[in-house]
Amino acid sequence: MSASRKSDPKANPSTAERVGGSVKKVEAKHDEPDFRTLFHAWLESHRASLVDSLGRLLKQPIGSFFTCLVMAVALSLPMGLALLLDNVERLGGSWQRAAQISVFLRLDVDAAAGQRLREEIAALPDVAEAQWISREAALEEFQQLSGIGEALRELPDNPLPGSVLVTPREIDKDKLEALRQTLAGMPGVEQAQLDLLWVERLTAILKLGDRFVFGLTLLLVATLLLVIGNTIRLHIENRRTEIEVVKLVGGTDGYVRRPFLYMGAIYGLGAGLIAWALLAYGLGWLNEAVVRLAGLYGSDFGLAGVPSGDAVSLVVGAVLLGYIGAWLAVARHLSELAPR
Amino acid sequence: MIRFDQVGKRYPNGHVGLHELSFHVQRGEFLFVTGHSGAGKSTLLRLLLAMERPTSGKLLLAGQDLSRITNAQIPFLRRQIGVVFQNHQLLFDRTVFDNVALPLQILGLNKREIGQRVMTALERVSLKDKALQYPADLSTGQQQRVGIARAVVHRPALLLADEPTGNLDPRLAAEIMGVFEDINRLGTTVLIASHDLALIARMRHRMLTLQRGRLIGDGEAGR
Repeated sequence: MSASRKSDPKANPSTAERVGGSVKKVEAKHDEPDFRTLFHAWLESHRASLVDSLGRLLKQPIGSFFTCLVMAVALSLPMGLALLLDNVERLGGSWQRAAQISVFLRLDVDAAAGQRLREEIAALPDVAEAQWISREAALEEFQQLSGIGEALRELPDNPLPGSVLVTPREIDKDKLEALRQTLAGMPGVEQAQLDLLWVERLTAILKLGDRFVFGLTLLLVATLLLVIGNTIRLHIENRRTEIEVVKLVGGTDGYVRRPFLYMGAIYGLGAGLIAWALLAYGLGWLNEAVVRLAGLYGSDFGLAGVPSGDAVSLVVGAVLLGYIGAWLAVARHLSELAPR
Repeated sequence: MIRFDQVGKRYPNGHVGLHELSFHVQRGEFLFVTGHSGAGKSTLLRLLLAMERPTSGKLLLAGQDLSRITNAQIPFLRRQIGVVFQNHQLLFDRTVFDNVALPLQILGLNKREIGQRVMTALERVSLKDKALQYPADLSTGQQQRVGIARAVVHRPALLLADEPTGNLDPRLAAEIMGVFEDINRLGTTVLIASHDLALIARMRHRMLTLQRGRLIGDGEAGR
């Protein structure tokens, strides 16, 4: 069955004027928009989405704050642990110091030859620093540290050799051993000594710490994505009718998605700033006790605060995580939002 | 404007919504689609809105084949269409102005133009003085007129209405139909799905009659 019919042209000028339109206007409405119009539309849509998202979050300040707080705790745990590890490394001295190689020279090597050897060692590519310790300096240090200084003064000759304290560039068991052998083979060298066991233990402990922080970070990032995803899902549910209407009047998926992405990013920003504040306050609070303890050992050690670079990374990372979490949530639910 | 060519719609559960439907509608026409509940009126509208796709035949809207339309093209198709629902589908947390402005915001028009066009559309449905009120403060008839203003504010080529007078008393229903006729006089094609035969008969426009997904009548209402 097929049929066709054209209605009578009933254009009534007075009616057209009353409603403020014209047939010509209707005919012209499908003109292709130019780039400027499209760009303005895109910009305006982003501005409106940002303002709308911010407004919705501010309408529920307590709920929004607690969401940010949960995210902030998830962010500050691994970040706080990483900062503490950094401080522990600083306390224990640098890695390089822990892995120094002591190169003991033969007793017949004089100070001038020792200095030349130091320069030779310092020029090696794997060496970061080489320090000459003369026989006299070694004896003086030993007298101070051993507690048998008076007895040592009775000895007819200085029994200690001159030495070069070598700081390697890289902490790697194989490379350190190779460097030790190179140093041991140099002329005038009696023995090159490296406490590899200590290095290995320290490496293992710090690697364990790093791995723990990495695992915790992964776990908490996943938690954070779930928190933001669930929060955005609730927002989507609350705005289901609006989304259906928007889709029916020509809103693209991008248009529907946009306010939720801004919402995720704003949650992330809030969480990042709160996490920063928590860490700064937490480290400051802990530092009082650390300074008191270190003082008892005659040290002026204190915890460093949150470095500004790390703080910026924390906030930017939080914004990105919020954005990604929101994107995943909307992507998952967008297909369910088809108009019914 | 619209061409149905042997269009069929069969749902995955085996139910047949439309049987090889064929008709075409000229630009600027005003027509009703009528039939009992389950006749296929809503299916027809859903196909035109690309909410569903035909399972057979060819459906053209303004030259675009809706059987082959991509998901990315659907929003741009819908920007050429205005839709009025029986239940208005208004957003109750937004003012009348903001409800009507929605299609223009999606198009990204500037605030000044949105303001002008919204007020023109509200004047068209005699609700200019209600712009700052919320839909909950309006009567059912006024809410329906807000829905109509939203459907025409972006000057669509085609206006679809699904039982737009279903919840209204006869006087209000006639008033709403008058608004649709005004819009049609400006060149917009109007297609209304309704089972209010008495009202349709009074208006003397083209009427398609559906029964169990088949077209059983095509002629002027009241004859």
